[in-house]
Amino acid sequence: MTEQAIAASATPRPGAGSRKLRQAERVGSAIFVGMLRGSCWLFLLIVLGLAAELIWGARLSLRKFGIGFLWSTQWNPVTEQFGAAPFIYGTVVTSVIALALAAIVGVMAAIYLAEFAPRRVGAYLGLLIELLAAVPSIVYGLWGLFVLAPIVANWIGPALQSVLGFLPFFQGTIYGVNVLTAAFILTLMIIPTITAITRDLIVAIPMRFREAALALGATPWEMAVKVVLPSVRRGIIGASMLAFGRALGETIAATMVIGNRPVISASLFAPGYTIASVIANEFTEATSDLYLSALIELGLILLVVSILVIGMGRLMVRLLIR
Amino acid sequence: MDIENSPRAGMWLARVAVPAPGASALPPVQPEAVAPAAAEVRVKVDIRDVDFFYGKTQALKNINMSLRDRRVTAFIGPSGCGKSTLLRIVNRIYELYPNQTATGEVLVDGQNILASTFDLNAVRSKIGMVFQRPTPFPMSIYDNIAFGIRLYEKLPTSEMDNRVESALRRTALWDEVKDKLRQSGLSLSGGQQQRLCIARAIAVQPEVLLLDEPASALDPISTQRIEELIAELRPDYCIVIVTHNMQQAARCSDYTAFMYLGELIEFDETERMFTHPREKRTEDYITGRFG
Amino acid sequence: MSATSAAALFRRRRLKSVLWIGACGIFATAVAVILLLIMGYIVREGISAISIPFLTRLPRPTGISGGGVANGIVGTLIIVGIAALMAFPVGVLVGTYVAVYGHRRMSQWLSFLADVLAGVPSIAIGIYAYTLLVEPFRHFSAFSASFAFAVLMIPLVIRATEGAISIVPRELREAATALGAPEARVVLKILVVAARPGIITGLLLSLARVTGETAPLLFTAFGSQYWELRPGQPMAELSLQIFTYAISPYADWHAQAWGGALILILAVFVLSVLARLSVLFGREGRGHGGTA
Repeated sequence: MTEQAIAASATPRPGAGSRKLRQAERVGSAIFVGMLRGSCWLFLLIVLGLAAELIWGARLSLRKFGIGFLWSTQWNPVTEQFGAAPFIYGTVVTSVIALALAAIVGVMAAIYLAEFAPRRVGAYLGLLIELLAAVPSIVYGLWGLFVLAPIVANWIGPALQSVLGFLPFFQGTIYGVNVLTAAFILTLMIIPTITAITRDLIVAIPMRFREAALALGATPWEMAVKVVLPSVRRGIIGASMLAFGRALGETIAATMVIGNRPVISASLFAPGYTIASVIANEFTEATSDLYLSALIELGLILLVVSILVIGMGRLMVRLLIR
Repeated sequence: MDIENSPRAGMWLARVAVPAPGASALPPVQPEAVAPAAAEVRVKVDIRDVDFFYGKTQALKNINMSLRDRRVTAFIGPSGCGKSTLLRIVNRIYELYPNQTATGEVLVDGQNILASTFDLNAVRSKIGMVFQRPTPFPMSIYDNIAFGIRLYEKLPTSEMDNRVESALRRTALWDEVKDKLRQSGLSLSGGQQQRLCIARAIAVQPEVLLLDEPASALDPISTQRIEELIAELRPDYCIVIVTHNMQQAARCSDYTAFMYLGELIEFDETERMFTHPREKRTEDYITGRFG
Repeated sequence: MSATSAAALFRRRRLKSVLWIGACGIFATAVAVILLLIMGYIVREGISAISIPFLTRLPRPTGISGGGVANGIVGTLIIVGIAALMAFPVGVLVGTYVAVYGHRRMSQWLSFLADVLAGVPSIAIGIYAYTLLVEPFRHFSAFSASFAFAVLMIPLVIRATEGAISIVPRELREAATALGAPEARVVLKILVVAARPGIITGLLLSLARVTGETAPLLFTAFGSQYWELRPGQPMAELSLQIFTYAISPYADWHAQAWGGALILILAVFVLSVLARLSVLFGREGRGHGGTA
């Protein structure tokens, strides 16, 4: 195709000069296409290298502990017994709580900003929340450690315990740095993502669908929930999966507020540990090859889980097309 | 848009002036509609002294008009003349936009629906509306129809099925969709979507139907089906149709209102309006001499 | 009878509507207020920590006042700069390929992989950089951090480029090809130029994304107390310094952490706002081009 195009451009003006031009053009074209191709292969190499390096790095641990690594609760560098269960538990609990809270609050806030807030207020707040989605996690971690943790220890924790203390999740000593604080910080971090994306999607729905719902006699709320939201449900699922992936892999903020203790405790007021934070804390201190390999295997688990979450999101979006 | 239509309007006029045999192919205008005695047809909607503002710009000036029950009234006029705006006052849908205001009275069965104390849901349960472009909701065909019904009534499944079926039969859509009621309404073609929207509107059992250029986004065959549907529904509803297609107004309506620059210029029986317009501006518009 | 029950139903539905909308409004306000309080808190704590020495001096041991984060700021610029040099060309070229040859199976795979890579946690990419560039050389380096950042940036750049090029009207490409322009010229001079504002936005947003990133630095750049400008050596980095200071038990280091956080937020905000403006100006520029 390229050569045909070149030939077509050159035929009306034959001559030595134009032939030279044509030559140069062809060489330039080849170089450019070669660069495109080359960068694609480089990118593939980078992505495959990521998977390969993690699997290779985790080989000692994979061989020693096998699949049991996933449910062993032991994490003892001295005896070299390593299991991922406490970290998987902490990661899943914090992320699921964060996603549940953030999806409800984030989507409702987006509905308000897009549908019911005065237009200018909605636009400004929407822009602000979009900017806040870019705030670095270290900042949230810092605030969580010095401000939110004491609030959870002194106010939110006791309040929850006095009301819901009969549940195992809200029993025991209330630490400031605990699973609940981590879940709250993750919630705050992913709300802007969910709200900003959902708001953009809602704003793009043509007015005539709103008019049609109202003209049938729907109330504004019925219009928003039964007509507008279903129109953007695929986008909301996509945004939620994106946010969930972020929560699962969040390292620094979680590390700063979760307490970093490798135990499985039913109480949300007890310290916990996440996959990402144990890697962050212990990677440079790993003294033996097996220890390091176990940490790399945790990274591999994180990689696999994040790919699964993305795949699940795509699958759900596809199933919704019908 | 309207300039494009003008030549066709001229052609149409030629056809009416000489009662053409071809006219019989068009949906028949019922004989009694040609010269209805004013006493026979009840006034359903009475528009009195209505002004309308977009922000501070006045878009409608002192509109007075009576829409009759079991008849079709067409609003015609060039783009921006206020015909859609007037339609959107009758079910107060304009209230969705905070800067739009209407004053005056719109009496439906003698009650002023513009009064702020009047129940908005009651207004809209009585008055159905169909828009220029189809608006199927992102749900199944069945649920699209059931959506409106569920807003007002709690029906057992069998009864709901009947209501959905009868609405779809009424719009001649039943045979086309009866095997795929659970599929998304968005899977239908444009013309089918528009008939689905009409079915959805009449499923609520309204008394007035507002059609805002219902066929302007459709192909000629779909347009014809919509026009047939209007003729079909005419005996049971007070129908108002906004159109910039004068042939369509002539084919479908008993009465026609010509609007221009926010004013109601002329309102009369369709037949008389298109053959003997009283106003110069009406004549200019329907003969295509309009800028 | 039925009329009154209908009216009661309407009232109930309207009440429900008002209550739910109110709840949404409360949530929206609460989210905005909490996030603003967080930012306000950081501005308040940060401003009192920021001073000329803070910005121009090296860190000092705790207890000795007057330490700064100058090496961290410079380190951040170096690490992010090298990462951009690696990520921009690769990302733009791959994005161009995917957009121009979107129908090919290879493009669909590349696009999918970019999506997946964008969702991979940064800590896992940090491990990648460690096993690839730290372990074999037996010492930490700023360059390995740049590599990790580049891997984080590439998928963002790919998607931004792909999106920006794919919204260039098809007629533009067809018209250029119809004039007899060779494909490479069409792509470079027409598509990429027309898509420039969108691509620049993507580049700026990818910069904003990694500027605040800390996790992969822990075992790549590692941090340093000294002036270190050689990419082959362990280097200080601002967000890493904040992390180290924050989890330390010393009050004066905590104060410095707030100061660093404020600088970081400002940098990220400036990049985000520039990204938005580039789209805005780009649109205007294209408008002028159209009329000329």
